[in-house]
Amino acid sequence: MVELTRRDFLKVAGAGALMAGLGPLEVGCVAQEARDVPILGIFPYTGSLAQNGPSLERGMALALEEEGNRVLNRPIKFVKRDSETKADAATRRTEEAIDSEGVRFVIGPWSSGVALAVSEVAKRRKVVHLFSGGTEDISGKRCHRYSFQWASHPYNACSIVVSNFVRLNPNAKRWYLFISDYAFGWSIEKYVKLLAAQHGVQIVGVDRHPLGEREFSGYMTKAIAANPDALVTATVTLDAVQMVRTAFNFGFTPQKPIVLTWAVGDEIQPLQPEMRENLWIGMNYFYQGVDTPVSQAFVRKYQERFGQPPDYPAGAGYAMTRLLLSGIKKANSLEPAEVVKALEGIQLNERESLIGPMMIDPKTHQNLRDFFFFRCKKKAEMKDDLDVVQLVGKGRVDLPADIIECKDIGQL
Amino acid sequence: MEISGLLAQTLNGVVIGMSYALLGLGLSVIVGLMNIPNFVHGGIFALGAYFLLSIFWAAHNFWLALAVAPLAVLLLAVAVEMGLLRPLYRLGHDYVLLFTFALALIVDQTLIIIWGPTALSILPPDILMGGVNLGVINYPKYHLFVMVAGGLCIVGTWLFLDRTRYGAIMRAGLEDPDMVSALGINIKRVFTFGYGLGAYLGGLAGALNAPIRGASPVMSIELLPIAFVVIVLGGLGNLPGAIAAGIILGVAQSLVTLFWAEASSIAIFAVMAIVLLLRPQGLFGVR
Repeated sequence: MVELTRRDFLKVAGAGALMAGLGPLEVGCVAQEARDVPILGIFPYTGSLAQNGPSLERGMALALEEEGNRVLNRPIKFVKRDSETKADAATRRTEEAIDSEGVRFVIGPWSSGVALAVSEVAKRRKVVHLFSGGTEDISGKRCHRYSFQWASHPYNACSIVVSNFVRLNPNAKRWYLFISDYAFGWSIEKYVKLLAAQHGVQIVGVDRHPLGEREFSGYMTKAIAANPDALVTATVTLDAVQMVRTAFNFGFTPQKPIVLTWAVGDEIQPLQPEMRENLWIGMNYFYQGVDTPVSQAFVRKYQERFGQPPDYPAGAGYAMTRLLLSGIKKANSLEPAEVVKALEGIQLNERESLIGPMMIDPKTHQNLRDFFFFRCKKKAEMKDDLDVVQLVGKGRVDLPADIIECKDIGQL
Repeated sequence: MEISGLLAQTLNGVVIGMSYALLGLGLSVIVGLMNIPNFVHGGIFALGAYFLLSIFWAAHNFWLALAVAPLAVLLLAVAVEMGLLRPLYRLGHDYVLLFTFALALIVDQTLIIIWGPTALSILPPDILMGGVNLGVINYPKYHLFVMVAGGLCIVGTWLFLDRTRYGAIMRAGLEDPDMVSALGINIKRVFTFGYGLGAYLGGLAGALNAPIRGASPVMSIELLPIAFVVIVLGGLGNLPGAIAAGIILGVAQSLVTLFWAEASSIAIFAVMAIVLLLRPQGLFGVR
């Protein structure tokens, strides 16, 4: 065989890395019908949040099916694109879908940083954009008329989590924070610090970790040295799974609690029940504990169809699609500007909304809604493998005026 | 900064680094012997972890699973080398390169098809649950076990390569495969054995790390760059270099967490860049 030099090796390794970075091409692209209504689902099928893309897609597909895949007597075309969990890929593919498919409604992506980039596309191209995620900027300092935030405001989420956790763990007065180092984590960090101080809790250390971190033993060694009473985190999906697993191996849990302030839900099943003991989780939606009629029906249908219960991404995909279709029907128009006006101030009640009563604030486009706080059940408490959490708190707080950064949402 | 914190992070780094070294050693054997930048080596790590989980679920015996999982990876790798890679050798290096890249993508998707897209976990065996008080920190027993077991495997591999006749043939193959072939030794068999040995070490690293890292379909993508960094840093085909590089990277990553956590994941690449600037052939490489 031909001799491979170091220089040759670096060349081919680099070429391979480039090929890997290109990722899969667009999925689900089909020819456009003349009168269809193309709605884009831009979800992560690859990248660090790849496991959430299929759930989002399934939730969105179920919501469309409930309407017979039609709106205003026109067929809906579900256009799918891979965000790759990257801002450049997500914006490029959103622009491409707008140009080639005639998309005027966009749902997704998933990561906060990626969504902020897509939100700029929505603003510039004047298409309706619905997102669910942890950044407050969509409905905050980077708000505009075309983007809407379905998830709870992080202040609301942190309020529900912190107040209930303090109530249920009155002796946990020293917290160590693990923060995912991007827009989502920074929002959570800011409000956890603020609210912890209000509850007399001392933050004894903060570590920000890169998104996609899989080696938490160094962080855990450092945190344990600070002797905290609790580990409070803004870490999601596989990062959180790895973090909780490491904490268990280091003997932090179950003796001391870990809080996932804002989780996706797919963190739970990958962990053994023993690893989940004394794990507390805040979520926008989960199949257990959210007992609205819409949620009960959705969980049943999702399980029948896919053989597993829906997690938060599935619920978000489902609920955002229902919200968008409600807006289109209320506007009785497919013009983005008219749909925006219809969505502003729209209220859904207990029987219409997945997560109970909600309202889109017309001044910020923030969904004013409940957030949910769960405790993972001990192995002995579980009736079966799917009986994993107990709801220990939920609610909604008024957002203080000084934290609302969307001062002028602008014009259409 | 307290000295205890530094000591704890250094220990942590050695534990992490031992796994990196085991993974990198396997890749170094393959690259050094066969000139194949084996893009499926991350997938081999993942297969080791997944095989361990499946065998454990079937047999409910962690030690049996740990013994069998890397052997299963070895057998799979030998079959791939003999059935699929060998016919490509005569076509040239580019074909082999592209094939291993395709194989990596196939393995990634196969993991999802067989085991699903969700990550999986396994507890350490009962005897290795909990921690040991080392004075500076209460350190997980299983992590220490991985360090010792990884070290023993590396020593065992080293003794095999250094003290046995077949090891000598392999070392000769690492230096000059054409010369080995000219001496009448069946170099194809040496390649098969080398590929199998490299895969065994990679699979063993994955299996050993299953209770620490779990198993997920993306782990192959996460570990492959680390394996490449180890062999570039250690020097292509240089086995002691791969071992030293793995441990250096682990310690660097762990210590960076202590001082600048946000940069922990880029630390290993920064170390590689610095070494390549100062010593382009790697720390122990000659070519």
